[in-house]
Amino acid sequence: MSLSVPLRLEGISKRFGHVQALKPLTLDVRGGEMLALLGPSGCGKTTTLRIIAGFETPDEGSVLIGEKDITELPPNKRSLGMVFQNYCLFPHLTVGENVAFGLKMRGIPAADRAKRVRAMLELMRLGNFEERTIHQLSGGQQQRVALARSLVTDPSLLLLDEPLGALDKNLRERMQFELREIQRRLGITSILVTHDQEEALTMSDRVAVMEAGAIIQIGAPTEVYERPHSQFVSEFLGTANIFHAVVLRRVQQDMWAVRLEHGKAEMLIACAANLASGGAVKIAVRPERLKMDAPAGGGMPAMVRDVVFRGSYYAYELSIADQASPIFVYTQARKAIPADGEVTIDWSPESAILLADQAAP
Amino acid sequence: MTSTRTDAGATTVHPRARRARFRLARPSWTWPALAYLSVFFLLPLITNLVRSVSTGEASWSNPFVYYVKLITDRYYLGVLLETLFVSIVTTILCLLVSYPISYFMVRKAGRWNVVIVFFLVAPLLTSIIMRTFGWTVLAARRGLFNTWLMETHLLARPLDALNGPVIVYVALVHVLAPFMILSISAVLQTVDVRLEESARLLGAGRVSTFLRVTLPLSLDGITNGCTLVFVLTNGSFLTMLLLGGGTIKTLALLIYQQFNLTQDIGFAAAMGNILLIMALVCLLLQARLVRRRNVKQ
Repeated sequence: MSLSVPLRLEGISKRFGHVQALKPLTLDVRGGEMLALLGPSGCGKTTTLRIIAGFETPDEGSVLIGEKDITELPPNKRSLGMVFQNYCLFPHLTVGENVAFGLKMRGIPAADRAKRVRAMLELMRLGNFEERTIHQLSGGQQQRVALARSLVTDPSLLLLDEPLGALDKNLRERMQFELREIQRRLGITSILVTHDQEEALTMSDRVAVMEAGAIIQIGAPTEVYERPHSQFVSEFLGTANIFHAVVLRRVQQDMWAVRLEHGKAEMLIACAANLASGGAVKIAVRPERLKMDAPAGGGMPAMVRDVVFRGSYYAYELSIADQASPIFVYTQARKAIPADGEVTIDWSPESAILLADQAAP
Repeated sequence: MTSTRTDAGATTVHPRARRARFRLARPSWTWPALAYLSVFFLLPLITNLVRSVSTGEASWSNPFVYYVKLITDRYYLGVLLETLFVSIVTTILCLLVSYPISYFMVRKAGRWNVVIVFFLVAPLLTSIIMRTFGWTVLAARRGLFNTWLMETHLLARPLDALNGPVIVYVALVHVLAPFMILSISAVLQTVDVRLEESARLLGAGRVSTFLRVTLPLSLDGITNGCTLVFVLTNGSFLTMLLLGGGTIKTLALLIYQQFNLTQDIGFAAAMGNILLIMALVCLLLQARLVRRRNVKQ
């Protein structure tokens, strides 16, 4: 079976009773890429995955793997691999029997089966675990068995449903790299469903951010993180400070001066498009992109409300003038500025993101 | 932000520390229950045992007459085997009827599950005599079934459904199926649907998913249910007495007759003990089967 086949979702939609779980959605997943479906619970990411897996039938639209329309195929005829959040290993079978299950269902002869199971367990560094029962394994090992079980049949597509959700933090970080490495090596087209933005950013080639049954932005992790189109995306992927402002004038090519709604400071933003002078804009700036300076410096004056040490950085909570929502700043500085200190904050024009959705300020 | 940080950790009490401080039950609290069981359960069992080897034909010089008679006499051996046969058939019928119902309850019923459980448990509140007589009303010569079938011209002559083995099995399954259904659904509830979905994605069709995943994982429930139904059928005589019309003779029915008609108390006691041994063997088997599977998991 050839790996690296593309997947295409063509206008699939799904309604549960009165709830439109999925608006007509079209998505192309390139062969061999890992695509993350990221969003809060109820955004439709799980429904999308279940439609691809064949557990749900879309109300309209079709699912294509390569050239083949699989919309009407039952799950067992789709040749997919899937890793569930809590692994879903068969508790009544040994590790070896779990991995062999898919091969057995495909009618692979026993000798061949044993060879392939052995090779796959070897690949997952589970060489001596074949005879073990599932409850004798640690979480990370179970995770690898689940992966082995789904990959041993050479599926055309790998589905990962919050695959690392049940692991503790350290192990999760290690498994993120491990999983990514195996996926790259096999070149298998994969879909990762997660609500964990960090997982989506570290593991995938492209991230599709979903909200209310629709994909609202899709792109490379850096692109989605650095250039979110909307406040929702900017806030869902990490922390973002949102500023409302009015456009003043063009300062130079691709550079505009704006006046902030709160604090009235004049700031610069980079923007290639033509902005209407006097128009309201919404700007997002990442906490690590905000610069904090002594009170005399340029930028807008702010007051330190609180400061928290987070290991690799300090997180400040600031307030500016009459703005109700706090401003967050992360700095790598060694020494903390105490609470109630006065500072000024500034940003470089490139780190200010002009958001496309212009909600009323 | 400040307030949430100070709150954390201040009010948590170590769970084990709390458990040590409030110890609700003490071992001595079991004494009343033990005393009650000794007087009303253990003592009768012992007297029954003594009676079976010392009353009537049995005496201390020849204590096991009744037991020997039960095992060697053609008639009594036949009854013993028929008892086993009836119990096995009832158990199998119950299993066949109950498994689909349990599966439906757990996988498909959703919030209606509670309603179904209510309908399963509610009949247990009426006495078994009432439920058995209900079948008499339905199946009698001029009962509901016959009347309906005659009126719709499906039958020319009324069927004599009563006083036969079929109606006994129907009534037994009716009375005992709830035990099987509740046992199986309790275990089936613990089987994650996603295990079945995993199997499907790995290429298993509906039937092999059931045979290779769902069924093996619900075996504990089946074992529990079968043991319950088997033991309960072994001990039931009212259904056979009221509906069987003498066509089904089981040990429990014989005990009833020994007590009420022939008044051969010693013989009845011996039969009771045989039934008790059968029940104990079943429970031992069940404990072994269930425990061994748990070890394997």
